[in-house]
Amino acid sequence: MKLLRELFHYLDVTAANIKIAFLSIIEYPANIIGWLLSNPIQFLVGFATIQFVVNEFGAINGWNYGQLAFLYGLSVISHALSMIFFVNGWFMGWWVLDGEFDRMLTRPMSVVYQFFFTNINIFGITDLVPGVIVFAYGCQKIGFCFTLANVFQILVLLVGATLIRGGVYLILGSTSFWTRSAIDFGAFTQELFDKTTMYPISMYPEAFQFILTYIIPIGWVSFYPVSGLLGIENGLANGQVATWITLFAGILTMLVAAGFFKLGLRRYESAGN
Amino acid sequence: MSRAGIRVYLQVYKTQIIRSMTYKFEVYGNILMQSIIMLASAYFWKALFKNSDTVKGVDVDTMLIYTVVSAMISVVLTCNVERRIMTSVDKGTIAIDMMRPVNVFGVFLAEDIAGITALVFQNMLPILVIGCLFIKLPTPAGPAHFALFLVSLFMAFWINWLIACMFGMIAFWTLNMDALIQVKKHLIRLLSGSIIPLWFFPAWLRNILEWLPFAYLYQLPLDLYIGKYPVSSAQCQRGLCVQLLWLVLLTMGFLFLQKRVTSKVMIQGG
Repeated sequence: MKLLRELFHYLDVTAANIKIAFLSIIEYPANIIGWLLSNPIQFLVGFATIQFVVNEFGAINGWNYGQLAFLYGLSVISHALSMIFFVNGWFMGWWVLDGEFDRMLTRPMSVVYQFFFTNINIFGITDLVPGVIVFAYGCQKIGFCFTLANVFQILVLLVGATLIRGGVYLILGSTSFWTRSAIDFGAFTQELFDKTTMYPISMYPEAFQFILTYIIPIGWVSFYPVSGLLGIENGLANGQVATWITLFAGILTMLVAAGFFKLGLRRYESAGN
Repeated sequence: MSRAGIRVYLQVYKTQIIRSMTYKFEVYGNILMQSIIMLASAYFWKALFKNSDTVKGVDVDTMLIYTVVSAMISVVLTCNVERRIMTSVDKGTIAIDMMRPVNVFGVFLAEDIAGITALVFQNMLPILVIGCLFIKLPTPAGPAHFALFLVSLFMAFWINWLIACMFGMIAFWTLNMDALIQVKKHLIRLLSGSIIPLWFFPAWLRNILEWLPFAYLYQLPLDLYIGKYPVSSAQCQRGLCVQLLWLVLLTMGFLFLQKRVTSKVMIQGG
């Protein structure tokens, strides 16, 4: 009963935070228009150029461009969701240096929760637009059926994929507790995820694939669940089981990341050191 | 330019190099990131060429050289001038910068050249080593091709800097341009041939892009390096001519805008 009450409390605070995040759009309307142009251009032009090449060659490692669009689109969508909820992991160095955790440590809620959810980055919505467009294009190209079961699978996949991304951001960010420097992991993480989730990872050497499957579970963000969903042989997990492994990998990554964060927080000594 | 002027720019150049040496972690991070991009494209091409020998007149080895050299060119085409102008306008220090007895844009240029000099050692050489070890030794098509490549790369540097500088001047009229800078970065990255050569684009789009300056940042120098066309061919000559034309046009545009911006600052005081 107490647990349930606490859960409701968290949900309540989350709703309030989301409302505040939406209000911040009204504060800077020019900004959101700028990002509404910039982010879609990046992903749409990016996908268009891939398509030109794949058109020329026919397929890449057995993936035709409808299937690639499906993969790319879902990958951009989970990227957008991770931008909305977990982008603070990229900038953790600044939080540590500026002593921002002082305020959170005095509050009765989980610090990991506060770290992510008191600063929801609503501008991440601008990344959703190109993701949905490319995904819809891919669905139409391969004739994907939106049955209830398929929609459910995609939702599970997106939750898992977003958690994997968020977990990796949190682990990278938490290293600042030890290094005590403000390293911006943003560009690096985005590049790494772009190259490993927007293309089939089967094109990389086997050692890379092994790392991306078992050590840093980026392969589960898009490659395995999408190939499972579309029935493309990936040599490991075919069919719907891949989607569930993604969800499991996401929860596991986030738990490990939260543990690592808490370990780091013990070393936290506020600002000025 | 007077001798004292040159001495000032040299001093700026030296200071900036020393400054670039201080951020160690950033250097490693950049090398790591550039290597990821380069290796990923190399495997992308390897996967594509699995079933075909030559496509659009190039084979997989040429495409791998293209990838390594493109990563190296990106070092020569890094500049900070837009952000430099933006922060300068934002903080209001631009008025003081302009009052100084040297041309403020000359100082920005000296800083950028210094940054690139440092990056040649911190970034270009490591990329070359990694490229040679894991991808392929990037040998140019021939001595004549290589000479033309250097000429074209030199012009590409200027075109890139002038575009960035004029772009930065927009800051005098509107303040927040983070999003605009991102748009420009992505468009250049995708429409200049830096990742995917323009030969793969549909003909109508290619025809447009051939008349825009972006293709002359990466595509032309790279074409010359890999020897896509013979040195004496019409494509080569036309490419270099259009590149020179853009250089002249952008220089004129820069001089014009510089005057406008200066008078604007003089009137409003920054």
